Amino acid sequence: MLTFTVLRAISRTLWGFYLVYTLLFSIRLYQSALSILVRQGLLVGILLIVGHTGVAQPAPCAGSGRFWVVFTDKKGQQFSPTHYFAPQALARRQRQHLPIADSTDFPVRPAYVASVQQQVSSVLLVSRWFNAVACQATPAQAASVRLLPGVRSVEALPEAALLPAERLVEDQGASMTLSATDRQLARRQTLSLGGREFQVARLTGQGVRIAIFDVGFNGADQHVAFAHLRQRKAIVGTYDFLKHSPNVYQGGTHGTEVLSCIAGRLPDSTYLGLAPQAEFLLARTEQMYRERYAEELAWLAAAEWADRNGADIINSSLGYTTRRYFPEQMNGRTSLVARAAELAVRKGILVVNAAGNDGDDRQWRTVGTPADGDSVLAVGGIDPDTYLHIDFSSYGPTADKRLKPNVAAFGTVMAAAPGGYVRTQGTSFSSPLMAGFAACVLQQQRNLPVMTLFRQLQEAGSLYPYFDYAHGYGMPRAAFFTRGANVKAPVKPSFDFVRQDSAVAVIIRPEAAFIPARTLPLYADSVRAVTPDQAAAPVAKLGQEEPHPETPDAPDPDPVLGPVPPDYLYWQILDAAGVVRRYQVLEVTQRAVLRVPLRRLRSGDVLRVHYRGFTHVYSAS
Amino acid sequence: MRILPAAFIAALALTGAARQSAAQRVLLRSTTSLDTVRSSYGPNRAFFRHMYLSYLPIVGSAGGPGAEFRPFKSAEFSLGVRHKYRLSNTTALGFDLRYTRLNYSLAQTDDKVLPTPDKHHSEALVLHNLIAEPYVRLNFGRRGNVVGHYFDLLGWAGWVAGTVHTYEDRPGARGASRTVVHERGLTYVRRWSAGVGARIGSNRYAAVVRYRLTDTFTKAASATYPDLPRWSAGLELGLF
Repeated sequence: MLTFTVLRAISRTLWGFYLVYTLLFSIRLYQSALSILVRQGLLVGILLIVGHTGVAQPAPCAGSGRFWVVFTDKKGQQFSPTHYFAPQALARRQRQHLPIADSTDFPVRPAYVASVQQQVSSVLLVSRWFNAVACQATPAQAASVRLLPGVRSVEALPEAALLPAERLVEDQGASMTLSATDRQLARRQTLSLGGREFQVARLTGQGVRIAIFDVGFNGADQHVAFAHLRQRKAIVGTYDFLKHSPNVYQGGTHGTEVLSCIAGRLPDSTYLGLAPQAEFLLARTEQMYRERYAEELAWLAAAEWADRNGADIINSSLGYTTRRYFPEQMNGRTSLVARAAELAVRKGILVVNAAGNDGDDRQWRTVGTPADGDSVLAVGGIDPDTYLHIDFSSYGPTADKRLKPNVAAFGTVMAAAPGGYVRTQGTSFSSPLMAGFAACVLQQQRNLPVMTLFRQLQEAGSLYPYFDYAHGYGMPRAAFFTRGANVKAPVKPSFDFVRQDSAVAVIIRPEAAFIPARTLPLYADSVRAVTPDQAAAPVAKLGQEEPHPETPDAPDPDPVLGPVPPDYLYWQILDAAGVVRRYQVLEVTQRAVLRVPLRRLRSGDVLRVHYRGFTHVYSAS
Repeated sequence: MRILPAAFIAALALTGAARQSAAQRVLLRSTTSLDTVRSSYGPNRAFFRHMYLSYLPIVGSAGGPGAEFRPFKSAEFSLGVRHKYRLSNTTALGFDLRYTRLNYSLAQTDDKVLPTPDKHHSEALVLHNLIAEPYVRLNFGRRGNVVGHYFDLLGWAGWVAGTVHTYEDRPGARGASRTVVHERGLTYVRRWSAGVGARIGSNRYAAVVRYRLTDTFTKAASATYPDLPRWSAGLELGLF
């Protein structure tokens, strides 16, 4: 009886199916026509139409797919860099000691594009960088394209995934009323990177052009947090690469929040990011709550657009993971978007990308793409309460064992959103904090080659030369650039390795064992925990993060620390190839802080320890 | 006397261990080889298993007069477990184990013969099936660790675990507003059934068509009753 009751209840939940059928067919029509429907595959069509509802894209022919057509040459093409590029793009090339143009900047031969156009259903994208077009075609059309003169290769692009992306928490309204904790967090998110140092040195990203690729910038054209940008017309270009229009102020608020983490301002003039004087190019390349492969094409188109318009930095708080790829494909060479990001770096643009929010996803856990790119600065998340890796931040290394994330910044931030300000979480916001940081460095050293900038940002990390796959090189410090020699000077040893019979011990030196007394805050509520319990409020995928409200009565999930990062002891075992086999972070409560049995060290392994800025290596052999 | 030094050493060792553990409060711990181990379980990994629900209305009409059905109420509702073994990115094998409640809601027409000519307010034949269904899957397009778009060819065989002829009369017997009668263990229904089918789907959603190859009724009953419709077609929802 119970079974029947349960089945009846479930049957009721399937009432939706019944309704769909009722709408589509009358009873008689259904009975007589179903065999025809099945034979002609119309059920498939119905299913796919249901799956595609709300997606604006050219209607594909039955059985068609996306193909990537690469051409052999650009013979005979004329190109005038001074007409094509914005003056800022030309200036960037000059500063970066790059040629004014190279073959990748030349246009694709129109005859090639036209010949493909004649064969396929539609051309979706023409890429100068890759000398290629993306098109919608049937397998038969693709086969005929292969035979065209000038076609080097035709590859199938991944198909669109029909799954709606997850929506984990309800939208929380933004508010103009900020608590003391909110204000404190807003200050700390820049102070933690040395914002004060940049401010004193008058480094605010002035003259640096930053392109932001995101899901949409709702309200950014009206929000008070960006009044100073509008006043000096700092948003110099906008384009929606999904709808092909200049209006990017729709589609989602995520981009608004990201922009605020570079240049947003609180009503009390506290800046939420480090580069309020920068210029901005806003590109919409992604849809909220859906993942489509078309977005990778949009990312590539936006990168070419950003290059043409003189962007110095691309901030991409986006990442593509499990619906398109496997973790073992995160090697920086597999995805189109990673290759596009690499090419953008070759054009002298620093690409800053969020590491990802999959650290607590056991099925994925690693960084997404394009954060897996070798030259892409992947930014991980730090918990503002503990100054350690925040749970959801994706871990490295890449599939080919390269270090990722490269650096880290706060993963919980205050951001501007339509209607006010919100507290929100995600490496999406760590990335713009770092993009703002890089803009200040670029303002200071305008002729810095992009990969030198990349290396210096890593060297500025609080842990450098130590790194691990949770924090990278840690949070960069502005003092590295503003104080130069003082910071770069060798650090005094803070501990010693002591060889024992069957182990090696790490003993902190007496002079490094002094722990300063903690300074009381002005108000106790200003040091409340800002990071919510991850189990209660998991963080969504990149680009889909939602604000989370303050819960006044909830107990603090972690011990709350002041604005100064505590001195943890970081240690790891590296193999002969320099790959970290295991790593830990320890709380220091006594000088004899660590004892590692020698049996854990294999031949060629080294034990590396970092404490108070000093990194030392113990070799087993 | 021999025990005392040993006890002293053990106590010292324990104290040392306690001191050591106090020093090593681990705030973050990670082993790269464990973090980056390739999973063999997942929607597009070596093996995947998930539950599903399906609702497939009976399609078509009976093999002769006297057994007309109410559409949509005559349907099979299933709850099952699907096992999928990946062969390549485009091919997979698998099998389903499911419970299916097959309901034939009988229209009360004048020429009705199944299972009796008597007319009621409502009447149904219900078969409770336990079914195993192997399938071959073809996937389309590149994808990550998701089920993706697919086409399945199915073959199924099942045991009819229970049969019920149920009808309701209004007004009921002896002055009651209604009477509901359930007759179980119908002797005129075959105990085994088998068939083929096809499924086309995208991730958790699928459209399914099934065709029954075996007769519903026993040989003896087949002379009296027209065979029931062999086609069913409907939708399926994967629970993962």
